[in-house]
Amino acid sequence: MGGLEHATPGILVTVAFAVLLLLYELRRVERGYRHFIRRIPGIDAVEGAIGRCAEQGRAVVFTTALTDVGPVLYACLGVLHAVAKRVAGYKLKLIVPQYSPEAMVIVEDAVRGAYNDAGRGAAFDPQSIVFLSSEQFAFASGYMGLVHREKAGAAFMFGVFAAEALVLAEAGQQVGAQQIAASVSPEQVAFFICTCDYTLIGEELFGASAYMSREPVQVATLAAQDRLKLLFALVIIIGVLGATLQSIYPTWSLPTVDLFFTTEWSSLTW
Amino acid sequence: MVTINSSDQRARLIGIFTFLGGIYFFLYFVLPESAISFIGVKDRHEAISNGFIVIGAMAIGLGLFNLVSAHGTRIVFKKIGWVYSLALITGLVCMLGVTSAQWLQSLALSAEQQRSQIISEFAQRIIDDADKTTATLTVPALQVRVDALKLYGFEHLSVLETKLLGQRGASSLLQHELQKNIATVREKLAQLDAVSWGELSPGSATLLKEVVTSGAKFSVARGAYLREAAATTTVQQLYTLLYEGFFNQLGSAMFALLGVYIAAAAYRAFRIRSVESALMMAAALIVMLGQISFGRMISDDMPALRQWLLEVPNSAAFRAIRLGAGVAGLMLAIRMWLSIESRSFSAGKKR
Repeated sequence: MGGLEHATPGILVTVAFAVLLLLYELRRVERGYRHFIRRIPGIDAVEGAIGRCAEQGRAVVFTTALTDVGPVLYACLGVLHAVAKRVAGYKLKLIVPQYSPEAMVIVEDAVRGAYNDAGRGAAFDPQSIVFLSSEQFAFASGYMGLVHREKAGAAFMFGVFAAEALVLAEAGQQVGAQQIAASVSPEQVAFFICTCDYTLIGEELFGASAYMSREPVQVATLAAQDRLKLLFALVIIIGVLGATLQSIYPTWSLPTVDLFFTTEWSSLTW
Repeated sequence: MVTINSSDQRARLIGIFTFLGGIYFFLYFVLPESAISFIGVKDRHEAISNGFIVIGAMAIGLGLFNLVSAHGTRIVFKKIGWVYSLALITGLVCMLGVTSAQWLQSLALSAEQQRSQIISEFAQRIIDDADKTTATLTVPALQVRVDALKLYGFEHLSVLETKLLGQRGASSLLQHELQKNIATVREKLAQLDAVSWGELSPGSATLLKEVVTSGAKFSVARGAYLREAAATTTVQQLYTLLYEGFFNQLGSAMFALLGVYIAAAAYRAFRIRSVESALMMAAALIVMLGQISFGRMISDDMPALRQWLLEVPNSAAFRAIRLGAGVAGLMLAIRMWLSIESRSFSAGKKR
């Protein structure tokens, strides 16, 4: 199924269910329900990486790379907030190279908030949020130069990446930085696995900030997305079973799962 | 008494605008196409979407400000690496200056071509207006309009010919083509004197149509001539040097680094230290061997095995990652839209 301009009834029901599920989980968490979140070794290593920078007096670099304003950026902000808070606590230098000017403003706000939360608002330097370029490889070369000049002790790469992923990760490798990457771009995950100490794959990026902060809103979102994913997995299994049965018994006319999502409003009879 | 501080008000305002912006796109997506067309939004959707893009584009100024402020400070106080900052600011100013000059030049070029298009468009307009009923028209008489067309046409062509005499830059072939077209249009305009213009007869309409056709050809030839002449200007050559000569080449050089980095990364990743890295090594080996003819020498099944690896386990993993990220993105988008945000993200909040 290609991109949709307008939702079909099936998709409308799914979106409505997602909204209700999120609101339900929020209410549940607010009432004190505690969800279990499995260990994410890459996130556990954040504290160690920052501590190592404190020992060696080296800078911490956090990039959201090609991430523009959208859900992925907000997922990264949760981690950035936690990292910046710890960096502020250790009185380290934080550098956040930026690709998108729109995202830069939001990132700056989040880092300033983290410094305030750490009680070191005055130590926040707006120039630590560096706009490099909106051109992919100009950004990559700027990042490389920055990491080399500052001899970064830890590099966090969270967000959307494309062909520049390996260039960024290699820059950190060359200066011996401890690197933690998280990407929703599956094509780049392999490069990160090869070059970084820890790699978070796909949705782990969205779970990271909930894991670090344990804030009710973030934990509720994580729980809701897991339940919705479970539902989709169930739909996939039903679809596979249906298609298998249909191929074994061709005379049966079983409705396909696809029908639920693709039936248009105009096809419905009232 | 409860007091609302300015940061609370700011957050509330942002929340309201986010919700309003989001609800437009949400309703546009969830409502059936017939309902969207009925309320008249369908035709305006592109304009509304462009409006949102324009608001986003305004942020580019913020990036520019950040660059100038960060690197300007470094240059003024001669901090470490100030020479690099100077190179960056110089590059920025040069590129901005040359691009602006090139943009102004292209505007002037479009205006010039537009002036040449008028002959053909005006003639076509005269034909179109004559086809309509006179009651709905408030245009001057046909004779007056044809006279105006001739006057404008002859004057424009004379000015152009004078310009062409002293101009150089474009190839003589294009100049010759343009001069040939000028002569044709002049001839067709002169032929308009042969008939009376009380009303549009089939014969006079044919003459006007010939002006339309020759005028269109003339405007195309003029456009080609102008573009070629503009390519030889100092501004265009500087732009080509900076953009195609430097910028694109530097980008390609960075991309080329990937080849070396992939080899270095592969060397590190393929050292067999665990079961996972052994699996990775085996999969990579099969994919690489399946890609080259040497693989077929080892086994005829190697390309098929490679294809299976890519299409079955690899695709399954990709789909799982995309599904997980998609669902998580949907939940976060809903949360953003409803402004159910973590309080700690905002700079104004102090706990």
